[in-house]
Amino acid sequence: MKVTVLFFGATADTVGSRELEIRADEAATAKSIIDQLSKDHPALAKHKLLIAINEEYADPDTLLKDGEEVALFTAVSGG
Amino acid sequence: MDYTELTTEPIDITSVARRVVPPECGATVTLDGYARRFTKDKQTGETRETEYLVYEAYEPMAIREMQKLVEQVKSEFEIANVGIVHRLGKLEIGETSVVISVAAPHRRAAFAACEWLIKELKRTVPIWKKEVFADGEVWVEGDSQAPAL
Repeated sequence: MKVTVLFFGATADTVGSRELEIRADEAATAKSIIDQLSKDHPALAKHKLLIAINEEYADPDTLLKDGEEVALFTAVSGG
Repeated sequence: MDYTELTTEPIDITSVARRVVPPECGATVTLDGYARRFTKDKQTGETRETEYLVYEAYEPMAIREMQKLVEQVKSEFEIANVGIVHRLGKLEIGETSVVISVAAPHRRAAFAACEWLIKELKRTVPIWKKEVFADGEVWVEGDSQAPAL
């Protein structure tokens, strides 16, 4: 299956991209996607990452479905 | 009426405040949050001078999270209407980054609700701030855990 991964702020700078399409196996979770990305971008693991799936905060162990949108970002700092 | 918006244009604070006022209200509390020049580092205690800020958002999720805050604040405080507008893009020092207006029949609830809203916004709404200094830049990482799991 394929998922779209979005990056913002610090994670976008670390990965050098704002959006990636990623091929993942059927049992993929948000955490396994982060592990997969960390191989190419080890600096990603230095951040404490928050996860959103389809625009809702989600647990790292949530199973992903084909076509879902996963956002990886650092603790928010608006205001 | 309530409203939540993101904009790359300067925010007109008075118009944000006026849009939330219904006839049964007697007080509107408005927070004007703006870009600060001097920030004290929480760890080192040193003061850094910021040249400008850049804000970025996960826009559709930020709007959803702001709408959730509006629903929640209205269920917990005796208030009528809420307006939240957050600026994105580059902000010069002194420019307004966020405006929160809360209209209520009585001021006490409006003050409490406004304080609750900015605290929650800084914890849950996916917006990030980059501070740019003379000799570098940093994306500010908040100290929040993942909210509401």
